[in-house]
Amino acid sequence: MSTLLEFKDVNFFYQTKNAEIHALKDLSFCVDNQSFTSIVGPSGSGKTTILSLIAGLLNKSSGQILLNGKEIEPKNSQIGYMFQRDHLFEWRNIWQNVTLGIELTKPKDADKKKQFARDLLKKYDLYDFISSKPRALSGGMRQRVALIRTLVMQPTLLLLDEPFSALDFQTRLKVCDDVYQIIKSEQKTAILVTHDISEAISMSDKVIVVSSRPATVKHVQMLNLNGETPLSRREDPTFGSYFDLIWKKLTNEKQKD
Amino acid sequence: MKNKKIKPSPAAPYSKAHEKYLKKLANDKIFVICFQILILVAIIGLWELFAATSVVDPFFVSSPSRVFNMFISMVQDGSIWQHIGITLLETLVGFVIATLGGTLIAILLWWNRRLRKILEPYIVVINSLPKIALGPIIILWVGSGMSAIITMCVLICIVLTTISMLNAFISCDTDKIQLMKSMHANKFQIFWKLILPNATNEFISVLKINVGMSWVGTIMGEYLSSSAGLGYLIVYGSQIFNIDLVMTSTVLLCLLAAAMYFAICMLEKWHKR
Repeated sequence: MSTLLEFKDVNFFYQTKNAEIHALKDLSFCVDNQSFTSIVGPSGSGKTTILSLIAGLLNKSSGQILLNGKEIEPKNSQIGYMFQRDHLFEWRNIWQNVTLGIELTKPKDADKKKQFARDLLKKYDLYDFISSKPRALSGGMRQRVALIRTLVMQPTLLLLDEPFSALDFQTRLKVCDDVYQIIKSEQKTAILVTHDISEAISMSDKVIVVSSRPATVKHVQMLNLNGETPLSRREDPTFGSYFDLIWKKLTNEKQKD
Repeated sequence: MKNKKIKPSPAAPYSKAHEKYLKKLANDKIFVICFQILILVAIIGLWELFAATSVVDPFFVSSPSRVFNMFISMVQDGSIWQHIGITLLETLVGFVIATLGGTLIAILLWWNRRLRKILEPYIVVINSLPKIALGPIIILWVGSGMSAIITMCVLICIVLTTISMLNAFISCDTDKIQLMKSMHANKFQIFWKLILPNATNEFISVLKINVGMSWVGTIMGEYLSSSAGLGYLIVYGSQIFNIDLVMTSTVLLCLLAAAMYFAICMLEKWHKR
């Protein structure tokens, strides 16, 4: 599998009134094309900062972030970002929410993208709700709409910043399955940032454990689990041992913290 | 109205307990409306009764029948429409200028963070200043009459509008702004498609507050400098001890302010739909 994204000795400092904070220190890792990678680490370690750097919302202090071997551009249409909460705009209906990106960037192939949006909404049982306001949808449906809003722009790389953290446990498992299936069937590359180790293991091909601030890569765990969905992957006998291993790496970090 | 919306379908009839609950809701509503009407009737009735039986002196407090007669005589000579028209015009013009102006200033301050920081203490001071103190200066600067009254009305509403709308703009969820940025939105798009629609509820609250404040501003302005309008009638009536005229103008003011507030409530209902 070819490498899609590469972090090479990336450093990031952010400034506060009292001090300069070193958030990322010589961070290096790579993400393969059409793979699912999770980043886990202690709270405040800079996981979201990593995604913000990839999305161009922040500028790195030093190092290289390469997408397809080229330095990543600030406004890159190949990248889609999904946040912790769905952030659907309550005053817009589902169709207007889903096509927000098209409205903002006005791409040349807008009609094609709109058709793609219709197809996705039909495929994932949301087409009947296109005229509804987000408040009419359940938490799980809202997250699916948020994912489709990101997918409509047909990004190569999806950034998922704890997208299930606001959901209750049962909905979370279901939405996790849905999102995983959508990402796999649309053949996207995804990077998930999460606190939940089991969620990371159940969805990913690779888990990257980062240290507490300044974040560096402490451990990279390749995963080989049987199962088509995150729920079925949880039933794999090796799931527990992966969990223990990552838990130990993470607890060491927490103790240091 | 509510019962119409939630009419039970034959396929899923409501249980007796649910019907009882709906009936209780409807009864509660009827009870509240009846009590509201009763309070109004009681005030008017007792006022009339006390005035008629000389418990209170109608010379000082007037009475509903005298207010009604005064209103009819003013309708017959046509003078009431001129006074209502002028006050209404001043209030509406002041209301619109203050609401739009205040919102525009808020937009400017949201757009330019540095300007916001620079102007912050001035806005706080202007907000705390009793605007009536500016009355004589306003008359000197813009002249007496309608322009001074509208200026007073605008001054009373505009600072409050600016502060409320600016707070609404600033309090927009930063994650939503990040989401827009991640979709490559420029600053204008972030404002137009997120910040502004996100502040609609606050805008409606501002409209509601401004309804009251613009009437205060207009009447204050008319007290200071006017030759027509309901505020003028109140001042004139009190100077010549014509309490019937004062009370009639006050009642008309109440009705007009209520009508304007009701119009904003209708707008809010339409928006929420």
